[in-house]
Amino acid sequence: MIDMHLLITGVIFGVSLGSIFFLMAIGLSLCFGLMRIISLDQLLYYSVGAYIAYSVSLTVGNLWLGVIVGMVVGGVAGLLVERVVFKRIYDRDITFSMITSFGILIGGVGIIKHFWGLVPRPVPVPITAQVAIIGTEFPVYRLVVIAIALSVYFGIWLFLNKTIIGKAIRAGIEDVEHVEGLGINVYRLFSITFVLAGALSALAGGLHAPLIMVDPQMGLEVLAFAFMIVIIGGLGSIKGTLVSSFLVGQVVSIGSLIYAPLAQMAPFAVMILILLLKPTGLYGSPLLKR
Amino acid sequence: MSFLRWWWSLLLAFALVALVRVFLPLPFANEIMIFSIYTIGCNFLLGRVGFISFGQPAYLAVGAYAAAFYFYYFGTNPYVGLLIGVAAGTLVSLAIGPMFVRLRSDYFALVNLALAVIIFYLMQKVLADITHGDNGLWFLTNLSPTPVLDLTRPNQFFIFAFMIGFAVWAFYKYLDDSIYGACCLGAKINDDKLRFLGYNNYHIRLLAFVIANTTTALAGAMYAVYLGFVSPEITSPARAADPVVVTILGGVGSLYGPLVGAIAYTGMKDVLSKVLGNWELIIGFLLVFIMLAGEKGILGTLEPLLKKGLARLAGRQAVQGERGGR
Repeated sequence: MIDMHLLITGVIFGVSLGSIFFLMAIGLSLCFGLMRIISLDQLLYYSVGAYIAYSVSLTVGNLWLGVIVGMVVGGVAGLLVERVVFKRIYDRDITFSMITSFGILIGGVGIIKHFWGLVPRPVPVPITAQVAIIGTEFPVYRLVVIAIALSVYFGIWLFLNKTIIGKAIRAGIEDVEHVEGLGINVYRLFSITFVLAGALSALAGGLHAPLIMVDPQMGLEVLAFAFMIVIIGGLGSIKGTLVSSFLVGQVVSIGSLIYAPLAQMAPFAVMILILLLKPTGLYGSPLLKR
Repeated sequence: MSFLRWWWSLLLAFALVALVRVFLPLPFANEIMIFSIYTIGCNFLLGRVGFISFGQPAYLAVGAYAAAFYFYYFGTNPYVGLLIGVAAGTLVSLAIGPMFVRLRSDYFALVNLALAVIIFYLMQKVLADITHGDNGLWFLTNLSPTPVLDLTRPNQFFIFAFMIGFAVWAFYKYLDDSIYGACCLGAKINDDKLRFLGYNNYHIRLLAFVIANTTTALAGAMYAVYLGFVSPEITSPARAADPVVVTILGGVGSLYGPLVGAIAYTGMKDVLSKVLGNWELIIGFLLVFIMLAGEKGILGTLEPLLKKGLARLAGRQAVQGERGGR
């Protein structure tokens, strides 16, 4: 069997990977839940966040500042795209937004190539310390990532359940027309959600950057994973996104311990299996308007 | 006369493609021929049945690898390889179709994408002993020359691809005109009404899925014969959207859209990436622009104008004829 130390390391690596996946997919999930659009351009904000984190940490020497700047840029970019493009296509069907946002994603990759070039670049890890967990040395940075992801989840939970805007957004997920009927400007809610989603995707990119190399195609590489997570969890469910991202993180991490190629393939097999058993995903609601 | 009326648009389109061959280099002409056959399946799924497929490279790889295995391990005849590729495409899509066509359109897109990723890693890592991983299978020298049309020569391969393309388009034109084509469109626009009319839309979708993916597998087998090597690169996730982009570029659901799209896409890729060096930027924003401008694509925008122009021309001639008669 697998060595116990390896297994523990694998599980914790899986959790930290799942945290990144969660931050990456939460934007997609929010956008789908409220606006019924598939916003592939979230992966663009992910790469932008990673690149901004890279540039700022290169000039200032502090990754955390880079992550925050990246989040601001991601949010602003999200707002711009929403104002210019998505505003025009809210009433179209899902495939339409999928293709359009894919165009934005590819175009954005072109812009990134223009500014930063093609070469993959390494980002220094801000915390190099290791900590011993059950006899296994483990990098602190990954634990910080896990903590950030969990606090983001609870932050979103508080925002959606305790604030009036969050409640309006949640109501909008259930029924857009009724919310509009109550005199709430739904399109402003859409903008807020979009900015939030963009900022969170950029956060994912900034945090993921030190663990991998940043390169222009990074958004496209994780595209399939981000999507798979949203699908397994059920489109539009935030709790489902959390559960499925940790599930996929574990599958990737443990799978790579057993047999390396499994890391890439197993999650997709899991997804097809879950979809065949429950076509709406783990927490997806069968009722979908439009 | 009515016989000609059915054929004339096909003949015109392929006469224009032949013109492309006259003015542009041979590799380009071969590339667009295969690429447009690759795309027409996606165009059919998206435009007629309403399934957006980001996983078309999966079926391309099935066709290409089936042909490649034959050439590398078993035989030498290019025609047999093509047939094996097509058969493999049909079998695979028959096997997975029943699961896939039950899914809603957005889930379908993603499950298909997942399939492409699975096949990519299958070919790159898991079956590396047979497929030689990233190095790919090289078998250009294994192909034996065939009588009549020698597929190992690029210029004769073009004639073959041209004929295959013509046959494929005639087939899809026939499908579009048939009751089955109308049913597909019905399945896209209004499922419930179609069921109410007594059609089984599961069967309709399954058939469309198999037809489209068999065509894609044919394109894959043609790639294998033409290039003489196959590597996992053809099904890489980064290229998963190529057929969708070409479909949109040409015009969703329009019969000759894939031809126009393939010419435009390959042409732009060759020319613009040399001039500007930043290919993604252009294609991405072009895609957004086309979608916002009304989803019609190049041909979709030109077609009404062409028809109007032709009608006006015909009208003028009629008027002149009348005047001449007086």
